[in-house]
Amino acid sequence: MNTRSTLGALLAALFALAAMPWLASDFMLSLTLTCLMYAGLAVSWSMFSGATNYLSLATSAFFGLGAYVTGWGLGTLGYPVAVVLGGVVAAAFAALVGAAVLHLRGAYFAVITFGLGELVRHAITYFEKSQFKTVGRVLTDTPDSITVYLTVLLITLAAVGICAAVRAGRFGLALAGIGADEERAQTLGVDTRRTKIAAFALSAFFAGAMGAAVAVRWTYIDPTAVFNPFIGFQTVLIAMIGGAHTIIGPLASSVVFSLLTEFLRLRFPYAFLFILGTLLILLVLYLPGGLASLWPMLRDRIARGRRAALAGGGANG
Amino acid sequence: MGFWLELAASGLITGGIYAVVAIGLNLQYGLMRIMNISHGEFLMLGAYFTWWAHTVLGISPLAFLPAVALLLFLVGLLVYRLCFRRVIRSAPSVEVIEARSLLIGFGLMYVVQNVAYLAWGADLRGYSFLAEPVDIAGARFTENRLVVFGFAVVASLVLLAALRFTLLGKAVRAMMQSPTGAQLVGIDTAVLHPVVFGAGLALAGVAGALLSMVYEISPSMGEPYTVSALIVITLGGLGSSAGCLIGGLLLGLVEAFGMHFTNPSLKMLLSYGVFIAVLLARPKGLFAR
Repeated sequence: MNTRSTLGALLAALFALAAMPWLASDFMLSLTLTCLMYAGLAVSWSMFSGATNYLSLATSAFFGLGAYVTGWGLGTLGYPVAVVLGGVVAAAFAALVGAAVLHLRGAYFAVITFGLGELVRHAITYFEKSQFKTVGRVLTDTPDSITVYLTVLLITLAAVGICAAVRAGRFGLALAGIGADEERAQTLGVDTRRTKIAAFALSAFFAGAMGAAVAVRWTYIDPTAVFNPFIGFQTVLIAMIGGAHTIIGPLASSVVFSLLTEFLRLRFPYAFLFILGTLLILLVLYLPGGLASLWPMLRDRIARGRRAALAGGGANG
Repeated sequence: MGFWLELAASGLITGGIYAVVAIGLNLQYGLMRIMNISHGEFLMLGAYFTWWAHTVLGISPLAFLPAVALLLFLVGLLVYRLCFRRVIRSAPSVEVIEARSLLIGFGLMYVVQNVAYLAWGADLRGYSFLAEPVDIAGARFTENRLVVFGFAVVASLVLLAALRFTLLGKAVRAMMQSPTGAQLVGIDTAVLHPVVFGAGLALAGVAGALLSMVYEISPSMGEPYTVSALIVITLGGLGSSAGCLIGGLLLGLVEAFGMHFTNPSLKMLLSYGVFIAVLLARPKGLFAR
C-alpha cells in the first residue's frame, strides 16, 4: 500500500467516525464510543508503558480522578473546561507520584501503580464523606450525546497524533532507550528521570481527560463506578494483546476487544469475566508478542507457501 | 491498660495473618520471580473450603486446617503446571517473567474470583467458632482470635525452621542465592519450583482458613490481602522470610494504632503511606544491612 492510499483510507475512516452521530443508531453510537474510549486509553498507555517497559496499572486511578473533576466542576466550569482540567489534574498527580516511585522497576512499579487506584478511591471517599456528607454525585445539565461522542473522538485523535509524534521524535527515542537499557540510556546523556516523569504525566493526561469526558454518560458517579479496576485492566489487556510497541496494534485490538467484551457481557452476564481471564492467560502463554506479532508470522507463512507452490510447479514442468 | 492491650492484640492478630500470606508470596517471588497478584484469591479459596467443611460436613475448622493446606498445595501444583511453567521456560529474561506472570496473575484473579461468585454467590458468609470471651490481664479477647494468632505465628515459625534446618529448605535458599550455582550442584528446578509454588498457596489457604474463624468471608476478600502482603514484603525485604514475619506484625500494629488515632476509613491510606515511606527511605527493606 502506498502512502497516498493509506492517507485516503485514514481520511475516509475519520469522516465516517465523525459522521456517526447522524447516521448510526443509539446502540451503535454507544458501542463506537466505547471502542474509541479504549482506543484512546490503550494508545496513551502504550506511549509510556510500551516504550519504557514500565508496566503501569494506574490507568483507573487517572480515569477516576478525571471523572471526579467533572463531578465537582461540571456545574460551575462547564464541560470543555472540566475535560481539560480533568486531564491536567491527572497529569499533575502522575508527575507527583512518578517523582516518588519511578525509580522502581518491574513488579514493584506495577504493584504500586495498581494500588494507586485503591488509594485515590479511598482518599476521595473519605474527602467526600467528611466534607460533603455524601459519597456519590448526581450530574445535572449534562451535554447531549453528540457532544460527548465528538469530544471523545477528539481526545482519541489527539492521543494517536501525539503518540505518533512522540515516537518519531527525540523524546520517543529516549523512552525506547530507557525501555531497552536504562543505564545505557543514562550514560548516553538521557535525563532518564525527567523523561520518565514527563511521559508518565503525558499518558496520564489522556486517561484523565477521557475519564472527565466519559463521566457524563453515567449521570450518577460514585467511587466504586469510576475507579473500577476493570477499566485499567481492560486497557492494559488491549494494549498488550495488540502489541504495545506499535500504534496500530492497540487501535485494532481495542475494536476487537470492545466488541468481544460487549458480546460476552450480553451473552454470558455471569461468566464473562471468567472467560476474559482465561483468554488473557492463554494469550500470554501462547501469543506473548500480541496480535501484532501474528501479522509477520502469517505473511512469512504465505510467502513460504507461495515459494513452495512455485518450486512444486517447476518440478512438475 | 486493658484497652491498649486489646488494640495491640488486634493489630498483632491481623499482622500474623499478613505474615503468613506474605511469606508464601515472598517464596514464590524470591525463587521464581512470579509476582502472583492473585495470591489473595487462594486465601479466599481456603476460607471458603473451611466454611464449607464446617457448615456442610460439620468438621471442626482446626481439624480441617491440614486438609486445606494439602488441598491448596495440590491446586498450586496444578496452577503452576498450567499457567507458569511455560512462562518460566520460554521467557528470555527475568523482567519478561515478571511482566508475563503479573498478567497471568490478573487473569487468574478474574477466573478464581468469578468461579467463587458462581459457586457460592456474592453474600457474606460466616460461622461462629470458639466465640467465648476470655480475660487476660484486664483485656477481653474471644478465644478464636487467640487461636488464630497462635496458629499464624506457629505456621510462620515452622516454615522458617523448615527453610533453615531441612535439606529441602537448604535447596530453596541455595536456589534463591544463585539459580545457576544451585543447578550445578544438582538441585532440580523441575521439582523445586512447583513444590515451592504449591507451598506458597498452601500458606495462603491456611491464612484464609484462620481468617474464616474470625471474620465473615466473601469472594472479593482476597485482594486487600495481596496488597498488604506486597507491603509486608517491602518492609521485610525480598527473599527474607524472617523479615516477613516481623514486617507483618509491624504493619498490623501500625494499622491498628493508626486507625485508632485517625479514622477507620483511612486504613488503606495508612498502609500506603508506610509502603511509600519505606520504599523511599530503605528500598531494600527495614532490616537490610
